[in-house]
Amino acid sequence: MEFFIAFFNFALAMWLAWRRRSPLALYVFFAGMIYAAAIFLRHAVNPLPLSF
Amino acid sequence: MDMGPSLAVRLNAVALYAISALLLVAFYWQLAYDELPCPLCLLQRVAFTALAVGPVLTIRYGPKPLHYGLVIVAALLGASVAGRQVLLHVMPGDAGFGSAFWGYHFYTWAFIAFAVAILAAGVMLMFNGQFAGQDMADEAAPAPSRFETGAVWLVIALTLLNAFSAFAECGFSACPGNPVHYELFR
Repeated sequence: MEFFIAFFNFALAMWLAWRRRSPLALYVFFAGMIYAAAIFLRHAVNPLPLSF
Repeated sequence: MDMGPSLAVRLNAVALYAISALLLVAFYWQLAYDELPCPLCLLQRVAFTALAVGPVLTIRYGPKPLHYGLVIVAALLGASVAGRQVLLHVMPGDAGFGSAFWGYHFYTWAFIAFAVAILAAGVMLMFNGQFAGQDMADEAAPAPSRFETGAVWLVIALTLLNAFSAFAECGFSACPGNPVHYELFR
């Protein structure tokens, strides 16, 4: 679900840009960046199957 | 030598087609070889779609430094994720995640692609001629051609396709670290 929201967010940002809603597209873009960074931090600390 | 706005817009449309091609290759590998993308792989795809927002704005409003800034910000996030995955598998003897493509794993290719995106945005910012008409009203930007319109709708369609694919893969819960089947269809 988390990635569905992230993809949908950027599709929405592109659609808003295409519909000439530039400020709104920028807000949605930056909200998506913060959300993607949060997902990254969450999954970057998954237990790691290290080889040593 | 300088670059006019129309050439810059055309090059941004080419960038959208390149992003679409990357997403299509990843999709082909997922469907043809049944290799489901891991969370970090999905996040790299998300960063590729974020990369497309800047060129879409350029096609709609004409070239502006802000739009290239968005590309650099999105590419930095994508490079961070891809670099993290490269480091996860950097130990000697580690087979890496998924299959290799022309000798490199997909996350290594993704890192290279994000580095190229930053380089391309930097190079584009060097051509001042494209920004000459940016003081005009946004409504005065030229109407996009079919080539540019097609690029925008292709990348939006592929982003939505990725959204539904990720939903099928992960279902309503958090995505597993090493997905082997579609959670929604279990």
